[in-house]
Amino acid sequence: MNANQTQGAAAAAPIPRIALSGIKKRFGSVEAIRGVDLALYPGECVGLVGDNAAGKSTLTKIISGTYVPDEGTISINGEPVRFATPADARKHHIEMVYQDLSLCDTIDVAGNLYLGREPMNGIFLDRKAMRDGARAMLERLEIKIPNLDALVAQLSGGQRQSIAIARAAAFDPQVLIMDEPTSALAVKEVEAVLDLINRVKAKGVTVVLITHRLQDLFNVCDRITVMYEGLKVAERKIADTDLTDLVSLIVGKGHGMGGHA
Amino acid sequence: MTSAYTSRPQGSRLADLLAAHAQLLSIAGFFLIMVVIFSIASPVFLSTGNILNLVRQIAPILIVAVAMTFVITTGGIDLSVGSVVALINASAAIVLQMGLPWPIAVIGLLLLGAAIGAIQGWFIAYQGIQAFIVTLAGLSALRGIALLMTEGFSIPISTDLGFVAIGREWLLGVPVPTWIAFLIVAAGFLTFWGTRFGRYVTAIGANQEAARRSGISTKQILLWVYVLTGLASALAGIIIAARLGSGSSNAAVGFELEVIAAVVLGGTSLMGGRGSIAGTVLGALTIGVIGNGLILSHVSPFFTQIVTGSIILLAVWLNARVFSRLASGARRKT
Repeated sequence: MNANQTQGAAAAAPIPRIALSGIKKRFGSVEAIRGVDLALYPGECVGLVGDNAAGKSTLTKIISGTYVPDEGTISINGEPVRFATPADARKHHIEMVYQDLSLCDTIDVAGNLYLGREPMNGIFLDRKAMRDGARAMLERLEIKIPNLDALVAQLSGGQRQSIAIARAAAFDPQVLIMDEPTSALAVKEVEAVLDLINRVKAKGVTVVLITHRLQDLFNVCDRITVMYEGLKVAERKIADTDLTDLVSLIVGKGHGMGGHA
Repeated sequence: MTSAYTSRPQGSRLADLLAAHAQLLSIAGFFLIMVVIFSIASPVFLSTGNILNLVRQIAPILIVAVAMTFVITTGGIDLSVGSVVALINASAAIVLQMGLPWPIAVIGLLLLGAAIGAIQGWFIAYQGIQAFIVTLAGLSALRGIALLMTEGFSIPISTDLGFVAIGREWLLGVPVPTWIAFLIVAAGFLTFWGTRFGRYVTAIGANQEAARRSGISTKQILLWVYVLTGLASALAGIIIAARLGSGSSNAAVGFELEVIAAVVLGGTSLMGGRGSIAGTVLGALTIGVIGNGLILSHVSPFFTQIVTGSIILLAVWLNARVFSRLASGARRKT
């Protein structure tokens, strides 16, 4: 499935849900992102792969407003935007599952799921609504957590990761970014996450998936973007590539960039 | 060996509840032990008169400790509270002597305290300077200003003014400072437990970057907690000035340590992310009881500091080592 099909008949040249152009980001003397263009369309899943330190996480954190790029522009549905904080990106329905999960260990499960958008009852937190909502969210994702009053610190690595995923997926995102969402999950839970990606895609959500489990990409992605040392070096439709091709691109053989590195 | 599947039992609710409140229970137990010891050591300890005296005495510590609980829960610290108390205390006497109507003076002084907190909070939240450093500078400089203003003398406040009622009057058989402290504690408890602000204070202490990524204005919240300690210190300074009928730059020496000790005794983590207003109240009461009880037991006043210090270390040690180990096997962060 490619972008033209999902966009429908309305536009001949579809407008990307989110488009990056000429993005650069520097940390001290290291140029982490050296000018990347990327267009993401509604209802597609794009796999972002690359070696460690290729700039995958940095690029996705720029989309989610966590980092502000030094150069380049971002536009959403054709309108240029500027994200100064993650709150700005959240307002545009961009949600992200961070690699470090970004959970607050000393807050309970429901509190973490609703962090930053707590339901209120007057000036007080509506704890009942939070708990009921949390239970519903977790049930939809088939996540079993017996005690919603438990602090996140008391949960297992897989449960913590599930909570981070549920939090990003539950609030009707338009762009859902997942940075290594399955690293701590068991087989069954990984299947549930891949199912989730396919479900939200069908609803028109744009998904960006970073993972080292390359076989997963072939289950859910429409396109794969390969990054190498801060550059986007290749873009492949899923039908035009295979594991061997991807691996050689990731290690820097297939695109002629690896030689002088 | 394999077993037939049964759903995993949930574990006792009571055990979970005890584990979650282990710190609070331990300080409550400690407080009761102190009360029992001193009521045996001195017959007047449990008299109504002494209890009311005690709760009036600890009102300033209680008020500032409630605000300090918010600061420490964010992972910060405010060392300047004693100096803010002294500055406001001295300023109160000066502006009242100048003839400023006392209600206006009170409002102005509260605003001054809040402004001092806001300035320190701005350096901490928006300039990223460590709270310890900023408020250590505040501790030194603010008392310096108080000394400069008073030239080291104590300035009397006329007892004809309504102002002194704030520290001396009684309402329904309870001293006014105690009423004020009670209101602050109630407001602090509801804010900490029930509001977004309280939730975000905890979130920032647990994981500031996660809080920011969740769209929380972490800098704004951080600035506000220091405004709270500034405001609370100003209130404490006003109460002390009204009770003593004078203003002095030497008021509240070592006050910040008593306040921090009360908060830490109550189980609030200096690492941030975990705080308890109820614990802080018990911590402040415990410190008050120790000071008061030792005097009533005719122990040399010089001993008070030694005993207070030892008891704080003992209580926090029990909290950290014994109770939390009993409480939870799986907790990552103690």
